[in-house]
Amino acid sequence: MIRTRQDRMFACINGCLLLGISFLMVAPMIHLLAVSLSAPQFANAKLVGLWPRGIQFDVYKSILDSDSLWRAMSISVYITVLGTFLALLLNGSLAYALSRSVMPGRKLALQLILVTFIFPAPLIPTYLLIKELGMVNSLWSLMIPGAMGAFYVFIMKTFFQGIPGELFDAAKIDGSGEIRLFARIVLPLSMPVMATIALFHAVGQWNSYFSALIFLRTKSLYPLQVMLQNLIVQDGANSGVDNNFQLSMQFTPEMMKAGVVLFATAPILIVYPFLQKYFVQGALLGSLKE
Amino acid sequence: MNKSLKKKDAQVLFLIALPGLLHFLIFKYVPLAGNVIAFQNYNLFQGFLNSEWVGFDHFIRMFRFEDFSRIFLNTLRLGIYSIVFGFPAPLVLALLLHEVRALWMKKPVQTLLYLPHFLSWVIVGGIFLNFLDVKGLINGLLLRIGIGPIDFIGDSAYFIGTLISIGIWKEVGWGMIIYLAALAGINPNLYEAAMVDGAGRWKRMWHISLPSLMPAIVVLLLLRIGNLMDANIEQMLIFLNPLVRDVGEVFDTYIYRVGLLGSQFSYTTAIGIFKSVIGLLLIVFVNSLSKRTTGESIY
Repeated sequence: MIRTRQDRMFACINGCLLLGISFLMVAPMIHLLAVSLSAPQFANAKLVGLWPRGIQFDVYKSILDSDSLWRAMSISVYITVLGTFLALLLNGSLAYALSRSVMPGRKLALQLILVTFIFPAPLIPTYLLIKELGMVNSLWSLMIPGAMGAFYVFIMKTFFQGIPGELFDAAKIDGSGEIRLFARIVLPLSMPVMATIALFHAVGQWNSYFSALIFLRTKSLYPLQVMLQNLIVQDGANSGVDNNFQLSMQFTPEMMKAGVVLFATAPILIVYPFLQKYFVQGALLGSLKE
Repeated sequence: MNKSLKKKDAQVLFLIALPGLLHFLIFKYVPLAGNVIAFQNYNLFQGFLNSEWVGFDHFIRMFRFEDFSRIFLNTLRLGIYSIVFGFPAPLVLALLLHEVRALWMKKPVQTLLYLPHFLSWVIVGGIFLNFLDVKGLINGLLLRIGIGPIDFIGDSAYFIGTLISIGIWKEVGWGMIIYLAALAGINPNLYEAAMVDGAGRWKRMWHISLPSLMPAIVVLLLLRIGNLMDANIEQMLIFLNPLVRDVGEVFDTYIYRVGLLGSQFSYTTAIGIFKSVIGLLLIVFVNSLSKRTTGESIY
């Protein structure tokens, strides 16, 4: 391709612009890291930019010593793993059945699911329902109501339907029933879509705090995000973080918040590079039109 | 195939589907039906079977409520601004990123742009409340160049802009993925032919890139307009504070605050119904408009 001077100039400006924008995406986190690692007098005087001044690790020491933060972290891990497993099981099995032409009432079921996409469940009646079901103040309220979505079912169904029918016919002739078809043929071939849905759901489950905020009453059940929300919005009062942790701060609340925010982000940042391949794929799967 | 075998398959499939179907019935349809409490004086102890019916009282009360028009306008304003500014952002970013040929640069840039989507609103709040504080880093920089300090979070004049900017920051990279995919699917011969004909960068973008993205743009825009009245409650709960309630209170936050925290279940369910009816009307309207003008539609 011929490159004129104009082209080169455009490429240069465009490149700089994009580098600038990507820097904006990480700069706030770098700043937080710098604040949490700086000596309190510099952090207090707001003299910390993107590089720590007077390095100390006390913030992280007390975070790692805090039982309540570890407990919250383990609750988050628990609901993420179990919630994602439930989501895959429920959505996968329904999507599989709906992808098979012998499924009775298939059309009607698909339409009913589509309706929920247009009319999402309203907040107050959902809350009252969960209350009636006795799920308030139990971790199930964070995993079960949100386990399924029309979006998931449609993506999975579309994927299953793309599997060549000859495979099914051959297995049928060999005497396989529907359950064996699902387990032996569909599931092994569906790892990309399964991984994608798992990733979407896991990120959503890990990050959500609203349902925990409205359904949980006991502080010892709080997942990480709720504890963090209390800490950030209500300035530490009543946050569920143990008092020892708050009392042990000789550093400023800003430093503590910065440290806890990074503590809560760490799991995402650690798995993020490994998941990239799946989420791009997934965002595209989602764009399939029925 | 053997008839009895087929019947057995159908039964097995139905059993496989049953847990999922029940989930949809219980957690999606029951709450939809639960909207009836908007026409009752719902009482927690009597349940919706025994609560007293009051017809449209709650709707009338809603329209008479003096703050109703303010909240309605706030909701509308937030929705419209976030579409006007938030919708084109990923499109522009995708067009710019598509022009980058060097892979060594494209991949890392993409990785960084996607990242904020994976952070929770609490974390984003933790980052920006600190960053945009009157004594925070941004205001430090602004002071140095002689502006400010600006109270981004606590001043009504800046609050909506701040809210929308942070929303763009979080989702712009994620939103561009779908456009990038569509751009990657365009036949390169089209660009080459256009270049032979002497089309410059702008002409190529205008006559090839944008028309190829059109279906995606229209469908995404329609969906977005259908959700015009929905605020992101997780974002609002982090950033909304008493200082900016006059511009920042929207239906979703009102329903949460007065309905859930204040136990006014029936009244706020009526507001919820009003909100979804507006959303439905909007989507029906813009969908038919789009069908006639662009031929694209979502149903």
